[in-house]
Amino acid sequence: MLRYVIRRILLAIPTLIGVLLLTFFLFFGLKNPEVIARQNLGKNPTQAQIQQWLADHGYDKPLAEQLKRSTVDMLLFNFGQSDTTGEEIKERIKKGAGPSLTIQAIIFATGLTIAILIAVLVAYFRGTYVDRFGTLLTVVLISIVYVTYIIGLQYYLGKRLQYGPVWGFNREAGLAKFILIPVVIGVVAGIGASIRLYRTFLLDEINQDYVRTARAKGVPEGTVLLRHVLKNAMIPILTTTVATIPTLILGGLLLENFFGIPGLGGYLIDAITNLDFAVVRAMVFLGTLLTLIGYILTDIAYALVDPRVRLE
Amino acid sequence: MQSGPAADPSATGFRRRAARFRAAVVVTSVAVVLAAIAGAGCSNSPYTPQEMQGKVQFRTIGADPKSLDPSFSYTVDEALIVDLIYPTFYKYHYLKRDPFVLELNLGAKEPVKTAWPVTIKEKDGKTRTVQGERYSFTLKNDLRFQDDPCFPDGKGRHITAKDVVYSFKRMADPSVQCPVAPYFADKIVGWPEYSEAFEKAKEKNYDKEMEGVQLDPKDPYTFHVILNQPYPQLRYLMAMHFTAPQAREAVEYYKDEYPRHPVGCGPYYLSDYQPKQRLVLTVNPNRHKDVYPSIGMPGDAEAGLLADAGKQLPLTEKIVFNIIRESTSSWNLFTQGYLDAAGVNNNNFQQVFTASNALSPELEKKGVSLRKETEMCVYYFAFNMNDPVYGGLSEKNKKLRQAISLSINADEYIQLLKQGNASPAEWVLPPGVFGYDPSFQNPYRRFDPQLTRAKKLLAEAGYPDGVDPKTGEKLTLYYDNTATNAAGRQSVGIVSRMIERLGIKVVSRPSLPDQFQAKLLKGQHQFIFYGWYADYPDPENFVFLLYGPNKRPGPNSANYANPEYDRLFEQMRAMDDGPAREEVIRKMRAVSVEDCAWIPVIHNVAVSLTYDWVKNVKAHPLASDAAQYRNIDVDLRQSRQRAWNKPNFVPLVVLAAIIVVGSLPAVAVVRQRVNRRVRRADAGGEGDDS
Repeated sequence: MLRYVIRRILLAIPTLIGVLLLTFFLFFGLKNPEVIARQNLGKNPTQAQIQQWLADHGYDKPLAEQLKRSTVDMLLFNFGQSDTTGEEIKERIKKGAGPSLTIQAIIFATGLTIAILIAVLVAYFRGTYVDRFGTLLTVVLISIVYVTYIIGLQYYLGKRLQYGPVWGFNREAGLAKFILIPVVIGVVAGIGASIRLYRTFLLDEINQDYVRTARAKGVPEGTVLLRHVLKNAMIPILTTTVATIPTLILGGLLLENFFGIPGLGGYLIDAITNLDFAVVRAMVFLGTLLTLIGYILTDIAYALVDPRVRLE
Repeated sequence: MQSGPAADPSATGFRRRAARFRAAVVVTSVAVVLAAIAGAGCSNSPYTPQEMQGKVQFRTIGADPKSLDPSFSYTVDEALIVDLIYPTFYKYHYLKRDPFVLELNLGAKEPVKTAWPVTIKEKDGKTRTVQGERYSFTLKNDLRFQDDPCFPDGKGRHITAKDVVYSFKRMADPSVQCPVAPYFADKIVGWPEYSEAFEKAKEKNYDKEMEGVQLDPKDPYTFHVILNQPYPQLRYLMAMHFTAPQAREAVEYYKDEYPRHPVGCGPYYLSDYQPKQRLVLTVNPNRHKDVYPSIGMPGDAEAGLLADAGKQLPLTEKIVFNIIRESTSSWNLFTQGYLDAAGVNNNNFQQVFTASNALSPELEKKGVSLRKETEMCVYYFAFNMNDPVYGGLSEKNKKLRQAISLSINADEYIQLLKQGNASPAEWVLPPGVFGYDPSFQNPYRRFDPQLTRAKKLLAEAGYPDGVDPKTGEKLTLYYDNTATNAAGRQSVGIVSRMIERLGIKVVSRPSLPDQFQAKLLKGQHQFIFYGWYADYPDPENFVFLLYGPNKRPGPNSANYANPEYDRLFEQMRAMDDGPAREEVIRKMRAVSVEDCAWIPVIHNVAVSLTYDWVKNVKAHPLASDAAQYRNIDVDLRQSRQRAWNKPNFVPLVVLAAIIVVGSLPAVAVVRQRVNRRVRRADAGGEGDDS
């Protein structure tokens, strides 16, 4: 298994470099560095100011040298400074990862737990009105657009019912209350699809031979579901969720904008609109890295929970 | 008959387990509900109790400031912060209007102006002497910077004239990218050479002196600005944060972080900044002594604006700027009483106004007052005067532009796109600027629905009914814009349809802001919509938008150049306000209106909402330091906040009840299944219930 993990990590490096090259060429293929300089300088910059800016940010060097430098820097985690504001990108990421992770991890854990519980419940009552009503409800939940949840629940839970602040993330005023409404929104918005998926996983298992055997032996239905079926259904559930865990620190754009959570959501999108190549490069690199880590973790988790899988 | 279930040991075990499970579910749900109530119970305020109880202003800005460097920052939101940290030689009197009054702030006395001969080197090496001016500025001698780690022992240093001279040098440094540098570049002696030296040198040499900005050899609080031409507008620039004293230590200590670590001497200092979240200004213990004015305009005393007269500024100990990107969120916070003021936008327009455009009674009941202030700005359409079809000063093309000008209906524009919150513009100058004439009516801005005169002018220009006789096809007007979203496209569409009533075809050419700027720079535009906000209340700051030498890359985006206008401009800019200056402005107006390079459309009206617990609210179209004069009735605010923010748990209880009632049949199903299994087991049948 160790050998497999090492091999996977080594394979990840060319993938990372490939993504970096692609980002570089896409960005500079579409935008002339002079246009980037103009966007970042005040209004009506002189040609001298533009040259100065390009020199300050290293965009006046030959393309090959820039490419080499930016790729090597990324692999060494030297993210450098934002082209737009000059702030240290690494500091910004460190500052933003915490709040993003706080919200997203709680949403992830709560959402996963509730979704599995409801899926078990629905599977237990399969074919009855509980199942049918559950299906209807999940389809409704899936059909509603994310922004609607945000605006609707922010208004209803925050403003009408006053259960928590409609905006803010003030550590000194106690974080718990700021997290309440965003977490409820995150969970409600994501839960419909998860329940549908996990229910299918559970029903796939319910029709297996070992379940029939267990029942034949007189094991009660509840025990069958919780002890045998759920355990086996966890394998597909794991594969669909573990990969997303590392990317939780990147946060959610809309939720963070509406609730003023000082996370990383939207950092990349803002950078793209500002033509801030330094940030785009760093965030794309980070996103790729985290996704790759997610996939490796999934494979390891898979081997751990399923004795039939051996990583060689 | 056997009492079946009891006789089956496995069934008893399941029941016990099921009972335990049920108990666990009940306990968990109760815990969750209690936790939710507890969480909700501790107030929905985004602030700490200390902030709520203190004299703190709660405000909002829409995005993180890009820079708080006073030599660079140039946006309205940033100025709200920068101007409180970096005070200047002059400031605008908070209450006086018509005209706006500059009063000494950091300055010890009015500057002394002396005639000063200046030697100018021509390109061919010859020199000539012109009559210039020297202004001598003297600062107060008891000013200190705020305490900051960039100073030895962290204690704010004494301020001298050197710190203002340093700000001038920074403006001349091209890498600082100061937006008002062009105002000085052609007037302050030695500026271009100084600027050039920065470009060439690898190391920045701020020790070198600039010829036109000198320290006084005798008095450490006095410096001189030497100009090669009369420039009375310098006064106003001494009230803009670009000329505020800056500590060289701070710039060199914080380097790239300086835009986020301002070090000034104003009423407040930046005490906390959390990107994407909040920015807090706290009263600066080293601030210079300043008091609330005791004289205002007629009516100010009745409006309660003089209640705090003579009190030491600032009147609140803190200002919290919440960085709220979504207007929905800030509107919700405002209605809960957690923001002192709010703007009006398309999102909340319907909630703010009644059908008759008055403040909604609901808001009025909450103590909200509505303010409408005409901003010192002008929005206009401009033709590129270098364009072969629409540009130039020929009689034919003039008529073409005049015809198009007559087709644009400002009233319709204001109703459809500004919800009525703007006033139609007749010329470049907005109300409040010297030379603005409320009785003036631009003959090419009189809209008539039949477009009789416009069509006549169009025919005289050689395009009867908008058709080019050479090609037999409709004349095309390319409208360059940055409308890449739905709202932008809608506004472009409305204007295009107005012009198309003449028979001309309008083609929209949208591009991203950076490409739009590049297009303007290269002169590849034909017809654009643009706006300008005043830097200072002198007409020069508006009419220079049409001055020939200010063509792109300068601010003259129409590339308009009429020698007569330019001559009048040069005459006007050095004059003192008075009937003579007014006469020159009138002549400039006549020339530019006839040439019709611009179609002035509106002067914007800013609409804002403020709660009654905020005192001393009076908008100033130029000064951004108003927050230091604001006062807060904390008790009133707290009692309102408490009354408006009581959690309502009824829906939560109802939801719980629905879940309980709804799950009753399910519980019955479970019972039934267990019993069925047991009965079957009794009968010796199979236990499958699938």
